Amino acid sequence: MSLLRIENVDKSYGDEDVLHDVSFAMETQDVEVIVGPSGSGKSTLLRCVNRLTEIDSGAIYLNDEEIHSLDENELRRRVGMVFQDFSLFAHLTARGNITLGLREVLELPKEEAVAKADDYLDRVGLADQGDSYPAELSGGQQQRVGIARALAMDPDLLLFDEPTSALDPELIGDVLRVMNDLAEEGMTMLCVTHEMGFARSAASTVTFLDEGRIVERGPPEQLFENPEHDRTNAFLGELSGLH
Amino acid sequence: MEPVALLSDWQFVVSNWRFLLLGTVVTILLTLSSLSLGFLLGFPAGAIEVYGDGWLKSAVNTVGVILRGTPIVVLIVLFFFALPIPRLGTVPVIDMQMNAFIAATLALGLRSAAYQGQVFRGSIQSIASGQMEAARSIGMTKLQAVRHVIFPQAVRRSLPGFQNEFTIVLKDTSVAFAIGLAELLTRAERLYLQPGRDTAVIEVIIVISAIYFILTFTTNRALDRLQQRYAIPGGNE
Ligand SMILES: Nc1ncnc2c1ncn2[C@@H]1O[C@H](COP(=O)(O)OP(=O)(O)OP(=O)(O)O)[C@@H](O)[C@H]1O
Ligand SMILES: [Mg+2]
Repeated sequence: MSLLRIENVDKSYGDEDVLHDVSFAMETQDVEVIVGPSGSGKSTLLRCVNRLTEIDSGAIYLNDEEIHSLDENELRRRVGMVFQDFSLFAHLTARGNITLGLREVLELPKEEAVAKADDYLDRVGLADQGDSYPAELSGGQQQRVGIARALAMDPDLLLFDEPTSALDPELIGDVLRVMNDLAEEGMTMLCVTHEMGFARSAASTVTFLDEGRIVERGPPEQLFENPEHDRTNAFLGELSGLH
Repeated sequence: MEPVALLSDWQFVVSNWRFLLLGTVVTILLTLSSLSLGFLLGFPAGAIEVYGDGWLKSAVNTVGVILRGTPIVVLIVLFFFALPIPRLGTVPVIDMQMNAFIAATLALGLRSAAYQGQVFRGSIQSIASGQMEAARSIGMTKLQAVRHVIFPQAVRRSLPGFQNEFTIVLKDTSVAFAIGLAELLTRAERLYLQPGRDTAVIEVIIVISAIYFILTFTTNRALDRLQQRYAIPGGNE
């Protein structure tokens, strides 16, 4: 039984094919890294998994349950998401960002929610920032709150959509460290990222997506050292040139 | 104009301070009732314009366009004469005719709802779509997301527009003069229309202008405070 199984997923906007016959599976504790050029459908793929976007055809299974047979809110409780632009709730403190879901969705009592929030803030290295508002935090700190917010819901799977690409270079490290820790602790993660260092150290599998199709998929060593396709080679070559 | 005559006109205004104060009370009551009605109807209307669909949304939209497109005096006169408001008598001391007060509240309140709705709609729409997606992505329902994430931010962003609306409604209560409601302007007119008092027109008008100014100024300062008090720390809204 796979934790996540994506089968023959198609998605188009108007007459633009964004995802075409995408299939793959992830096991519990896998870290899957998706790379691909801008517009290749990476964000769309993640959004299909928690149904922020609906697929046109195909099927997606979470623990062998087709996600469209689940209540969408229940699905999203089980599949956390971390956004490129953090999207913290601007009017709530770091702690409030985490307790909101705990209180409203999981219906935890207040003290328990606060204790849990502080616990997760501590895990992402922000124990002292509970009372800070998003606008008072650096981008790296905001993103770590974003991770803590998703994590606190105790999801089966975490989706990351370019979590570090909006960050100044010197702030990327803190976020990647948290992601590496999570990977080591056995969190199942589906990450769109172009941080090749993270892919090499944490990924169990790397998938190269181009024009909505999976071009190549395999362990990081294979894709980085020995890609089968010229396009993979060219794209990854360009990426490592950048970093 | 003789200085002596001028002095006696000022004395006339001062000796009637209580008469004008009662008009001020009616003006304040009418402002509060109209703004409250405008808020109670306007905020849901703004939300419906963003999140609603179908006939409800087009109904809200059409009513808003009509209310914003009609002169306020026309609305007041129309409501006063055309609506079957029961004759409820007059409130003693402030001499406030209840059915005129109700007609004025409906006219000013509905018109204000049409504007407050636009303010609120704009505030909701100005909130980044990522806020809604983030709320939905932790499993909140759309209603929970609107209530706990969108509204608290939209209400804050609406405060400057609300402040503006408050000033407009306060000043526009004076059009209730057209249906004889004993608010500030109506009482002012009753003063200088007394036989031999037409020399005091300017003095009376200056005094009631000052009263309108003091009311708008102090309330605006109070709303400024409120806005600072509830501003999101570190944010620039
Ligand atoms: N809501 C939408 N409506 C219409 N077209 C969309 C929508 N969302 C995405 N697209 C289109 O789908 C294609 C894939 O977009 P997507 O955001 O998934 O790409 P991406 O791989 O995440 O790109 P990037 O690296 O720039 O984030 C793009 O051509 C985009 O313009
Ligand atoms: Mg993207």
